[in-house]
Amino acid sequence: MSFSEFFMNYSGVAFGAIGAALAVILSGFGSARGVGMVGEAASGLMVEEPEKFGKSLVLQLLPGTQGLYGFVIGLLALGQLSADMSLAHGFYILISCLPVAFIGWRSAIAQGRVAVSGIMLLAKNEAQSTKGIIYAVMVETYALLSFVISLILLNSVSF
Amino acid sequence: MAIVKMNRFSLFVFESDKENLLHELQKFNYVHFLDLKENTDYVEMGLENAKVPENIVRLNEEITKVKYGLEKLSKYDTRATGLKAMKEGKEVLEFTELEERAENFNYQPIYEKLKEIGSSLDAIKSEKEKLNSTMNELRPWAGLDVAVSELGSTKQCITLMGTIPRNTRDSMEKELLESQYTYYEVIGEEKGYIYILVISAKEEADQVMEILRNHSFTETRLGIGDIPNKEMDVILNRISELKEEESNCEKQLTELGKYLPNLELLYDYYMNNKLRIASSENFLMAGNVNIIEGYVPADMINEFTDIVKKNLNNVYFMEIKEADKEDEEVPILLKNSTFSKPYESLTTMYALPKYNEIDPTPLFTPFYIFFFGMMIADMGYGLLLALGTGIALKTFNLSKEQRKNMLFYFYGSIATIFWGAIYGSFFGGIIPLPALIDVAVEYNRLLIISIAFGILHIFIALGIHAYLNIRDGKILDALYDVGFWYMALIGAILLLLTTTGILYGGIKNVAAVIMAIGMIGIVLTGGRSSESIGGKIGGGLYSLYGISSYVGDFVSYSRLMALGLSGAFIASAINMMAKMLFDMGIFGIIGGIVVFAVGHSFNVFLSVLSGYVHSIRLTYVEFFGKFYEGGGKAFKLLQSKPKYTNLKE
Repeated sequence: MSFSEFFMNYSGVAFGAIGAALAVILSGFGSARGVGMVGEAASGLMVEEPEKFGKSLVLQLLPGTQGLYGFVIGLLALGQLSADMSLAHGFYILISCLPVAFIGWRSAIAQGRVAVSGIMLLAKNEAQSTKGIIYAVMVETYALLSFVISLILLNSVSF
Repeated sequence: MAIVKMNRFSLFVFESDKENLLHELQKFNYVHFLDLKENTDYVEMGLENAKVPENIVRLNEEITKVKYGLEKLSKYDTRATGLKAMKEGKEVLEFTELEERAENFNYQPIYEKLKEIGSSLDAIKSEKEKLNSTMNELRPWAGLDVAVSELGSTKQCITLMGTIPRNTRDSMEKELLESQYTYYEVIGEEKGYIYILVISAKEEADQVMEILRNHSFTETRLGIGDIPNKEMDVILNRISELKEEESNCEKQLTELGKYLPNLELLYDYYMNNKLRIASSENFLMAGNVNIIEGYVPADMINEFTDIVKKNLNNVYFMEIKEADKEDEEVPILLKNSTFSKPYESLTTMYALPKYNEIDPTPLFTPFYIFFFGMMIADMGYGLLLALGTGIALKTFNLSKEQRKNMLFYFYGSIATIFWGAIYGSFFGGIIPLPALIDVAVEYNRLLIISIAFGILHIFIALGIHAYLNIRDGKILDALYDVGFWYMALIGAILLLLTTTGILYGGIKNVAAVIMAIGMIGIVLTGGRSSESIGGKIGGGLYSLYGISSYVGDFVSYSRLMALGLSGAFIASAINMMAKMLFDMGIFGIIGGIVVFAVGHSFNVFLSVLSGYVHSIRLTYVEFFGKFYEGGGKAFKLLQSKPKYTNLKE
């Protein structure tokens, strides 16, 4: 068996696994950054006004969903892996995972920034803080769309 | 079911009658005063600002005192907490009842007592801090068995107490050994320092000092006279005495805690007083007469005139007329059925309608609820939400605001159950149910359904726009801005459906003609507000270009499908993990239950939040964008919203 034959026959699973890993790694990385940013801002607020904890927690959780999306895609990709899958199949899984990996990563950080301003809003004017939450959720639309595309890609072609 | 009709009144009242009248009007509540200082005509006529009673300063002082009491006593609340407190809720009072009870409560002696306890607590705290720091200073010297006062220098020798770093100890001891008339003792050791006592004859003193200095000696002067151990005992005694005093004070505070409900009543009462007194800042004066203008809901005007008549004994002048439709000053009060009332908050959050507009609340409410349910779309989650809000509504004594919030989600939960049944989803599929639409397979169908809802939603919004134009007699505008758009959009959609083979191809030409008429109409009329011919043509073409934004609007409804899909898949991923754990023995089962509970609660929270926000977006951007402007001013009631009680209507 030549190297290229070996590569064709057995590397599919490796690419598939890279895809699953990327979906979890990149989106998790973004979410951790986002949640971390908001957490820092929120703990500053807790010094003066600990009673705003609940609302600040909602804001902090918002950039956390991207990691969850990536995790679900990773889990679904994992379910499709098998040792003897073809290179094309593995590669397909890898590409399917990319939307949620990249968009999840960048959008979580962008959402984190909006949520940090939401914390400022919460600090200055609690009555308006729902609006800060709404602004932050809007960013998530794009993570959601990429998640759905990854999901459909993973499910739509059977090898 | 709409914006409440208003009547505008102008009222001239003598200064001496003002207080009383305001008091009566506050009981009535539904009066909105206009700020006449902003009316330049009146100000130019030479009317002066109304006198604000001096007692507002005193009132503010009283409020500060009450706040102080509330803060001090909040920890000593004797009432039930947690679920029971939620069940009991806030006390419901008539406004007059609130006034009566607050006036019967004499706060001054309690305030003085609180102040006294507070200052003694402060004194105890600062003394304790001081004693503790002395304790810390003395602790390393505990080994010294001589009274400190006896250690002073004499004619013959000097006495030194102090610290050196521990790592210099060996070399210092070696050097001190060479001295002849020096006594040296290590008393204690703490945190890398050793505490030493040195007694040295005067003739050797300089030499010893030199050695000590070279080893970073820092002299300590203890502020006590006796043996450190004895002094420490005294301090400890004092500290335990202070602790006793402290607990004594706290006991007194606990006893005063029973006045907390009275204090809360007083707070609400004072805040209402403040609002009433401050409202006279809106008036103007001519000599001794107050000039008051404002609005009262049209259906309450008789009650209002009665109150004025009864209080002023005919010594007044009042003029009442219907509010001018186009006047932007008219304050907005919304009135809706119990079904759409909870969703008024969304209208308010966007912008209140102007007086000549329409209250959009009942129009978007059914869609909002429907979309909310479609985005969560899980029977289990819906049941959970319905149960939670239902129990709260049934058993808890909720304030009006809380009730509205609960109803908001209760209606939403019913739509959620409905959509969960259609998707056949129960907690992400733990119980297999027949699905009308299987989200995992038929997402294309779901996408089309979502966009179809979007088309319906937007067409209704356009229809409302047309209705408003027709209502105002601008029938041609309705045709230009809505009729042509209907034709262009419907034609385009039909054309798309025939070319993709979903509809019978024979109507293709009809669809094309409808679309063409609509588009030509838009180009011809879209720029009609422009003066020049060029502007009209440019404006018309630009209007037609707006069709691209409609494409964007329709696609935006894909979020209906996307959120349903993501919620369902996250739920099934949670179930998958829980199941994996379940197969791993007893600890696995416990872990599985934890993963299941925590995971699904998180997903419920996430889904509800997304459903709430994204339905808002569809309402604000896609729906309101077609017809709603907003920008009205809110009606300011004369009673302030109480913080600790609920007032009866």
